Amino acid sequence: MATIGAHGITARLPSGFEGRIFVRPASVGVTYPVGQFATFPIPDDLGDFGSGAVTLMGPSDVFATLFEYGPESLGTALFARPGRPTAFAETDFSPMTLRRGIPGQSGTQWFFTESGRPFSFYAVLGSHAQRPTLVPRVNTLLSSLTLSPAAVADLPAARPQWN
Amino acid sequence: MVALVIVSTFVVLLLGILVAGLLRSHADILRSLHELGVGVGDPSAAPVAAPVTLTTPASSPALGAAPAVAGVTPTGDARAVAVDNSDDLTLLGFLSSGCTGCAGFWAALQDPGLLQLPDRTRVVIVTKGPDREVPSEVRSRTTGRVPVVMSTDAWVDYQVPGSPFFVLVDGATGHKVGQGVASQVGQLAELVRRAEHDRSSAGGGRGRGEAPLAGPAREAATDDVLAKAGILPGDPSLYPRTFDDVFPHARSVPAE
Repeated sequence: MATIGAHGITARLPSGFEGRIFVRPASVGVTYPVGQFATFPIPDDLGDFGSGAVTLMGPSDVFATLFEYGPESLGTALFARPGRPTAFAETDFSPMTLRRGIPGQSGTQWFFTESGRPFSFYAVLGSHAQRPTLVPRVNTLLSSLTLSPAAVADLPAARPQWN
Repeated sequence: MVALVIVSTFVVLLLGILVAGLLRSHADILRSLHELGVGVGDPSAAPVAAPVTLTTPASSPALGAAPAVAGVTPTGDARAVAVDNSDDLTLLGFLSSGCTGCAGFWAALQDPGLLQLPDRTRVVIVTKGPDREVPSEVRSRTTGRVPVVMSTDAWVDYQVPGSPFFVLVDGATGHKVGQGVASQVGQLAELVRRAEHDRSSAGGGRGRGEAPLAGPAREAATDDVLAKAGILPGDPSLYPRTFDDVFPHARSVPAE
């Protein structure tokens, strides 16, 4: 079981999962941490919510993105939910909740605030028909995440660098 | 007096032999370190061809399971690569930023066209962690085309003796199918191809299905499957008119 951590997000990846936690370089404005986790090889050039990856999924695969929003989202109605869901039910997944509708797949997306940080958690199942098997895998991943309060020292701009 | 001279001469000869032996042993060690790319001394000297050991699945059943590689990227992000979550081969290249024998591999491993590896071979470069490597040095060698993970733990897990060192993993089984040292890019590509060929001949891997079809071949395969299921051109099921036609068991979006 591999453990990775960066930018105040730690994941004890369940068996078969791989992942990455990164901050996309910002050409304009500020970007915030993104965590991407999957049961298949994650390409390096995919979008934040899995574009470029979900088309590679097999029916037994799972993909998930933990996306942090800016502090201006704190206190808004969308992020009013305190903390991530404890676990998902099969009924939480729907083919209508896909960023990119791919026949056979289904997804779920939840917005919440945890440790003073606004997040969304978006998960895709490779096969809606296999959700009895796949949803528990998503739940195992979800419970493996630790979200810490944002530390100034962990922000990309605050990393020590040579001039 | 004569006896003393004889004894002294014998002792000097004995010590001379010991010193010569030590010097030879030292030279052997230095040569081996050079071959592994971590040598000291004349860095401009051309690396001597090192033994290459990328064995085949049939001949190396005891190489063991391959653990996931987890660490940080040269830019300070986190990255974990599982080597048992696909049917692909994964080539782990253990490289260093300061090893003279690694220079060619840094370029080749990040240019699949140059290396000409078999299809569906994933390349991952692994350096030691930031405690043993300078991230900016590693960053200057990366192109972003393949994952680069900095992890001292991975070097320990894979018992890497020095760089450059390579491990080939079969994703279908999660086991190593070869490992060793290569001194030239061509050697590495050839040995990976050979391992892939041996694996295919042995019927191994690809437990999750063959490489996906594309284009006309995929269209023909789909038509064939539909025809076998009794769905011929013009079948009403091919022209859904409502969402329920596509997902008859779909549930509504959660309220929250």
